Formats: sequence, structure tokens, C-alpha cells
Amino acid sequence: MDVIGQFPLFYFPDYGSAWMMGITGTIHILASHTSVGAAMLFAFLARKAYKENRTDYYPYMKKYGMFLLIFSYVIGSITGPGIWYTATAASPRGISALIHNFVWVWATEWVFFVYEVIGVFILVYFINKIDKKTHLQLTYTFALASVGTLALIIGIISFMMWPGTEAYYTTGSASDAFFGVNTFPHMFLRIGFMIMMSGVIGLLISSSMRKDNAELSYELSKKMGYISLFGGFVTLLSFIWYMGTLPQNAHAVFAFSKDAIIQNRIVLTVAFSLYFALAVFKPKMIHPAMATAMIFVILIGGLWSGEKLRESMRKPYVAGQYMYSNQIISRDVAGKGIKNELPIIAEKGLLALNPFVPKRLKVITTDNKLEAGKLLAKMACSNCHSLEKTGVFRPMKDRLVGMDKEGIKAILYTIGDGGMSYMPALKLPEAEYDAIAEYFASLKY
Amino acid sequence: MDASVLLALRDPAGVPFYPIIFQVLYILTWALHAAFVLLSLGSMGLSIYGATKGQSDSHWKKLTPHLIQTGKISISILIVLGVAPLLFTQVIYDPNWYVANTLSGMWVFIFIYTLVVGYSMYYWYYYANKAQKGGDYIIGIISFAILVFAGILMHNFAVTSIMPEQWMQMYAPNGVVDDSGWTFNVNILRLAFLVSLSIPVVGIFLQNYSRFLSTRDDFDKSYISYTAKLGTNIAIIGLLISAVAFVLWMLKIGYLLNPLSIAIIIGVLVLLYFSKMNKNSYITTLVLVVVALLISGMRELIRFDIMSNLGYSIYDYPVNLEIPTIAMFLLTFVVMGFTGVGYLLSMAWKVGKNEGIFDGTKDALVSKLGKYTLNIMVAWMVIYFGWGIVILFNNTL
Ligand code: HEC
Ligand code: HEM
Repeated sequence: MDVIGQFPLFYFPDYGSAWMMGITGTIHILASHTSVGAAMLFAFLARKAYKENRTDYYPYMKKYGMFLLIFSYVIGSITGPGIWYTATAASPRGISALIHNFVWVWATEWVFFVYEVIGVFILVYFINKIDKKTHLQLTYTFALASVGTLALIIGIISFMMWPGTEAYYTTGSASDAFFGVNTFPHMFLRIGFMIMMSGVIGLLISSSMRKDNAELSYELSKKMGYISLFGGFVTLLSFIWYMGTLPQNAHAVFAFSKDAIIQNRIVLTVAFSLYFALAVFKPKMIHPAMATAMIFVILIGGLWSGEKLRESMRKPYVAGQYMYSNQIISRDVAGKGIKNELPIIAEKGLLALNPFVPKRLKVITTDNKLEAGKLLAKMACSNCHSLEKTGVFRPMKDRLVGMDKEGIKAILYTIGDGGMSYMPALKLPEAEYDAIAEYFASLKY
Repeated sequence: MDASVLLALRDPAGVPFYPIIFQVLYILTWALHAAFVLLSLGSMGLSIYGATKGQSDSHWKKLTPHLIQTGKISISILIVLGVAPLLFTQVIYDPNWYVANTLSGMWVFIFIYTLVVGYSMYYWYYYANKAQKGGDYIIGIISFAILVFAGILMHNFAVTSIMPEQWMQMYAPNGVVDDSGWTFNVNILRLAFLVSLSIPVVGIFLQNYSRFLSTRDDFDKSYISYTAKLGTNIAIIGLLISAVAFVLWMLKIGYLLNPLSIAIIIGVLVLLYFSKMNKNSYITTLVLVVVALLISGMRELIRFDIMSNLGYSIYDYPVNLEIPTIAMFLLTFVVMGFTGVGYLLSMAWKVGKNEGIFDGTKDALVSKLGKYTLNIMVAWMVIYFGWGIVILFNNTL
């Protein structure tokens, strides 16, 4: 019996499982980037406090640390495994590909996590119980450990976009997969953003301190303004570098919404430059409510759209440009003995090969055609499009609007022949094409 | 599911090292995860009892906030420790893990937000208890219930993953596909046993707590002996409950006379004796660690047997040896991990024993470990970038 290693399908109606990942992912990015940024900021402040004997910094650091603990660690450490868990439900073979290539990298990252989690409690709760020099040393190691977690995850998420060079396909080696041309630009992009975020969160805390100590509050707001400007500048430069290291297919998808994205980035850059300049020149005008609002602007205007963009640009792949989003392997990877599944699917069809298709749907008949068509559409398309008439996620209803069965079939053929580079070149037997087209046509989008 | 399907579900990339290593690491790290799961549930539960007493009892007035703090830190640690078995389980048992996660996809999503809400509420509980305005125990009970629910969801993933014979029935009852992700399975005896262990764990923790503080002058003798005695009573009652639950579970699945199961029972009896005597609770804790490892091994044995009977042996998983990254892991784990965590824990221990400010620069051990940790981390970064640049240089020129 021929089978390919596909898993049961999990489909979240209307929104698609990709949205669930998007939500968890966006929250996680805010929390994790803030926490790494804050770790760097902590080291910077602790150094200044120690060298210049500024004991008045310590209460600020304690306050910042509490916020960091509650916000970043609670939320970050839960949503981190959270992305992983949701990605597993939405794209099990994608996660599997990453795990089986990079398990030791992740395990290494875990060592840093353990250090960080124990470290953060000691750092915050013992700030008044240990001498300043020991505390300073601890903040250094904490900052390095935080950057270490970034250094380790970055190669894995860059690999999701693409391995970056051809070497991986012949050697199958994790280090070739990890260090692609995209890895370092991506890393600096995130470091810049982390520095900026540490300042953005810092502004919330410094501005809310003015009742206790107005002078210190303004001094720190000013500093946070400089830090954010610097971080923003690094982010911008790295973004340009990063875009230059993306694969062909990413640009194809990028072209769809280029103008809107560039507009969004320009608006954000101007708005935040003004905000940071305000912090530098008129720190008195920074108000906690304003600082909170700006965090939400970043979350929704910057991160949510940025993550959606990154998800899109990866299309049609989910990992390493060999695993399609719809859980099909699209090329050989000689170094790992991985085989292209497209030829056998074109010959035998998805229904026959997927071990979780119930027996009564293995062969298409006039009785089960619509049902089989629906299942096939979900298996082939639902990872990237919601199928319902009320769908929200890159909805099919807008893309097949008013089409009849023959029109839809023509599109399926084009997709199958690789005519749309941002979609999987999934060729199916005629009977399966026919069932999918009949199902879509029956919905009358 | 027959063997050919289970084997086809394995990742075509193979595993990057010998499967037995992943199995051993799984057993080891799951025991660590479980230890902190149990400590957090136990201390949280006991703290709620303390919170209902409010300020009326002078001992509990001190103990309750300490228990809440212990629970709070343990949750963070159990989460980070959960990541490791999560990794290793899906390397060698990927068919099981991915089927369970897709079948229970909605629960997977809910699990994350259950944790977010439960843990955030726990912080609320912590602050409410600090403020002493009353009513804190209600928040405590809710967050406790939410976190226990998270544990039940975890249990669902674990047991669904070892029911391959029923997967098809869960996914497509009567041949009609159900992709809603609402599959839910519980095995009451297994769950009851695992959760019941939180009672003896918090009991032995209290013995340690009392022993640790006994050297400090700012805690009076009656408090020290009260907490020790409380710990002993809780440990004894808890061990008896867990022992009964364990025997019932083993009877049900026919493993009672298995050597591993007998070893666990003996371990529990030894624990019972040691905690009753309470001569040196640190040694009791060591025995507890051994028993935890045995229980973790038991879980793995059950899964291993189910899968081998179906023709799926992890030892036959194709191996694609991957040297550089395992070298990185081992070196980081052993050199940086032990030095770094040693540094943090020795500092925490000494700060805890100390009254007033602890001067780390005057402490040879702490200052040495700190210096080493820092240097190792700097060296790590240098190696990382060097390695990356060499690889990029080779592959692009
Ligand atoms: C890997 C993800 C992915 C999968 C799987 C996928 N698509 Fe798409 N599809 C896209 C992207 C990306 C676009 C382009 C952006 C857009 O239209 O929003 C797109 C666009 C389309 C369009 C509009 C084409 C155009 O150029 O205007 C149609 C029609 C479509 N998809 C149908 C399908 C069908 C039918 C399937 C299942 C056989 C499918 N897609 C599977 C990602 C995917
Ligand atoms: C309050 C939160 C949590 C509780 C109470 C909890 C509890 C449990 C329990 C009771 C089990 C055993 C289930 C069984 O064998 O029947 C378990 C297993 C496990 N937990 Fe957790 N857990 C929590 C959070 C987490 C998190 C956040 C992770 C991941 C980062 C995690 C990873 C794991 C893994 C990998 C297993 C083993 C699954 C298997 O291989 O069968 N846990 N947990």
C-alpha cells in the first residue's frame, strides 16, 4: 500500500488555523523582543549605575524588572511554546521538518532559557540583597543569555523562509541549513527592533515615575528616546539588507501588496521618529497613556502586519523550500534522503495516499463526490485560504467569485502546472480535480 | 493503524542522532518537568488553605506568602522545563505527537490561553495576598483550578498520543471526517496518580524549607518545628494516597508485577520511611528524584510497549548523523549549563541563608562561577559568529 506521511487535518472555520498562529505569534514577538531588549537595557543601566554610583537607578531597574517579569516572562514564556503548539496543530509536517533538522539547536536554546528563567528571578528579587558588583556581573550574563536565545532561534526561522544557499540540499547538514545568507540580516533586524522596544517600554515606566521623582523621570525618558532612535535606525537599515537576501518567490508575493506595505512602513517610521524625538527634546510631554498607546500601535500596525507579510512571503512553502504549506514535500533533499512526493500524488491522488482519509472516500463515486471534493479542497488549499462564504483568511470566495466549474478547473490546472509561483504546484489526477471544482462551484461564491 | 502507516508517518529526514539518546533525554527532562508541576500544584493548593486563615494564625501568616512565591517561581520553571521533553518526544514519537495535536487542535490552542489566564491570575493572587484585603483565596482557587485544567489538557495530549488503534475512529467516526480538533480523552487513574503526587512533593518541600531556615536567627524555633511537622504529616498522607492510586493504575493496565512498577513501589515505601523519620530531608529529596525518574521511565515503558506491539520501534528510526549541532548542544549543556546554573543556584542559596546584603565579591565560589559563566558566554558568542561566517564563506564563494 502506498502512503505518504500526512496527518489528520485540523481546520479552524472561517479564520483558518494560520490565524491562530498569527495571534499567538504576534503576542509572542512583542513579549520576547521586549524581554531581550530589556535585558540589554538592564546591562546598560546597571553599568552606568555602578560606574557613576547612581544609586537612584536601582529603583527604576527594579520597577522595570517587575514589569519585565510579569509582562515578558509570563506572556513570552507561555506564548513561545504556544507558537510551537499551535504550529503543530496547523502544520504538523512543517514543525516536524524543523524539529528533525534542528533539534540540537533548539535543545541548545533551551539551556539558555533555563539560565534566563532562573536568572530573571534572581536579578529582580535580589537587587537589594546582593552587592552592586555581583549584580552587574549577573546582568551581563543575563543579557548575553538573552541574545543567545535570539542567535539560536534566528537560523531556524530564517530556514523557514529558505536555507539561503544550495549546500543544505546536498549535505543535509543543520549548519548549512542554519547559516544562510538571510540569517545575519534577519538577526540584526531583530536586534534593532529589540533595542527600540526596550526604549518604548522604558518610556512607559520612566514616564509613570514622574510623581515619585520628576527629575529622574525626565532624564530617563530622554535616554529612552535616544535608545529607541538608535534601535529604530538599526531596524531600518537591517530591513533593507534583509529584503535583499530573500528568495525569488518572496518577492513575487511581496509584489502583491508592495505599495501598501511601503506606505505602512513610512507612516510608522515618521510617527515613531517624532515620538522618540519628543522624548529626547521634550521628555515632559511623554505621558504614560501616550506610551501605552504607542505600544499598541507597534503591536497592531507594526507587528501584526509584519508577521502577516513574513507568513505570505514564505509561500508556497512552510519550511526550507521543500515542504509546502499544505504539508506536501515538493523536492528531493539528497543529503537527508527526502523524496519529492509530487509525482506519486499526480499519479495516485491525495485520497488514496493520505492514510487518514476514511475508506469510503478513498475512491470517488457520484454519491460521495461533493464530500470528497470538500475534503480534498481542505487538504490542498485550506492552509492558505479559508473556504467558507464567510471566510476571512485570504478567502476563496473573493478569488473564485462568480466562476463556474470549468473556470475553476482551469485555475486548478494552472496551479498544478506551477503557473502561480506563490501556490504549490500540486498536480492531481483528473477525478480529484473534478471533485474539487465541483465542490467549489457548488458553493456559488 | 498498522505498522506501515505508523512508519510512513515518521519524518523522512530521519533523526539526527541515535534514538536511544532522545529516549533517555526524554525520561530525564520529563521527570524534571513533572517535579515542578507537582511542586507548583502542591504549594499553590496548600497556600489557598493558608490564605483562608488570613492573618489569624502567626505561623501561616509567614508560610502562606512563601508558598505562593514558591508556586509562582515553580510555574515559570515547569514551563521552561516542559520545552525539553516536548522537543524529544516529537523527534522519536512524531507520529503519535502530531496525530494527538491535530486531533485535539482546538484544545492545543485553548491550552496556551488557559496558561496565560491561569498564570496571570496567579500573579493577581500574589498581589492580593500581599495587600491583605481579604478575598485573595477566591482568586487563588480560580487560578488553581485553571492551572489544574491546563494539566488535564496536557494529559489529554499524552493519552491520545498513545491510542493509535482508535485514532481513525476519533478523526472520522463512522467514516465522516471531523476536523474540528475537539478530541478529548482522559484516563482517570493515570491522571489521579500523577496529580496526587503533588501532595507528597509539597510535604517533602516543607521539610526542606524548615531545614533550610533552621540556620537563620530571624525565624523562631516554634515556626521551624511547626513547618517540619506539617511537612511530615502531608508527606505521609500524600504518599499513602499516591501509593493506592499507583497500584490501581498498574492493576488496570496489567503492569503491577513489572520490575519497574515494583521498583516504584519500593521507592515509595522508602520515601514513606524517610519522610516519617525526617532525619535529613535533603536525602529524602534525592530518593524522591530517583522515584520521579522511575515514574518517568514507567510512562515511557507503557508507550514503548504499545508502539512496539504495533510494529513501531523507535530504535529502527533511520539515523542521519549530525555532528556539529550535537557538539554544540553537549558543550553548551555541560560547560555553560552546569557552570551557569551552578552560579545562579549557589548565589540563591547563599542569599537565602544570609541576613542583610550578601557580598558576592567576597565569596570565592560565587565570584569564580560568575567570572567563568561570563567568559564562557563571551566565548560562545565568538564561536557562534565564527562558525556562521565560515559556513557562509564556504557556501557562497
Ligand atoms: C501555500 C499557500 C497556498 C495554497 C496551499 C493555495 N494557495 Fe491560492 N493563493 C496563495 C497566495 C499567496 C495567493 C496570492 C495572494 C492573494 O491572492 O491574496 C493565492 C491566490 C489564489 C488565487 C487568486 C489568483 C490570482 O492570481 O489572482 C486563487 C484563485 C487561488 N489562490 C486558489 C487556490 C486553490 C484552488 C488552492 C487549492 C488547490 C490554493 N489556492 C492553494 C497561497 C496558496
Ligand atoms: C500548568 C501547566 C502545566 C501542567 C499542570 C502540566 C502537567 C503535565 C502532566 C500532568 C503531564 C503528564 C500527562 C500524562 O502523562 O498523563 C504532562 C506532560 C507533559 N508536559 Fe506538561 N504541564 C504544564 C505545562 C506544560 C508546558 C507549558 C509544556 C511545554 C512547554 C509542557 C510539556 C509537557 C510534555 C512534553 C509532556 C509529555 C507529553 C508526552 O510525551 O506524553 N507542559 N504535563
